[in-house]
Amino acid sequence: MSEATLSELGPVDYVIVEFPAGATNFTGEMAGELLALVDAGTIRVIDILILTKNDDGSVDVAELSDLDDLGPLVAVEAELAELLAEDDVAHLAAAMDPGSVAGVLIWENLWAAPFASAARRSGGQLIADGRIPIQAIIAAIDADDALTEGA
Amino acid sequence: MPIRPARVGRVGVIGHPVAKTAVVAKAVTPGPSPIAKTAVVAAAVTPGRRRRI
Repeated sequence: MSEATLSELGPVDYVIVEFPAGATNFTGEMAGELLALVDAGTIRVIDILILTKNDDGSVDVAELSDLDDLGPLVAVEAELAELLAEDDVAHLAAAMDPGSVAGVLIWENLWAAPFASAARRSGGQLIADGRIPIQAIIAAIDADDALTEGA
Repeated sequence: MPIRPARVGRVGVIGHPVAKTAVVAKAVTPGPSPIAKTAVVAAAVTPGRRRRI
């Protein structure tokens, strides 16, 4: 990748979404929403893996192309970059419970690329970033309410 | 299913074992769904809301 292209790259994020044993309900809804984000130019999907953590702790790795019927995800699969390495699989699977299945998604935030490029051209350096889980917001609200009630 | 050979022997990008965060672990334990608090969370992130400091 050229230096010019790198300077225009948007932030790259990942999520690992776990589906506990017996709790899966795949209807195609997730694929539809993912495609909508891609089609809108909001994100570019870089890599996708499906991990299965067996009861003995071993991990099976499936590529998107291993699935029988990709449907509209065929277009996404054709553009994948296979960024994740073997070490990454072990690191990601460390968060999984035995008996669960997890989807790993790596994507570039195309929507943020122009702002990130402008920040770099302005001399800015990213020193921290992160995500605030909804559960953390709920916990903060609960703690706030408890303090208010105790006052 | 074994990992694809193209992914073996390369330098990874994650860097360290990932841990399930405590708040998420708590949320996925049996009990009332956090979704029930959607309205409360929405209020907390409403535009114009200010810290009470």
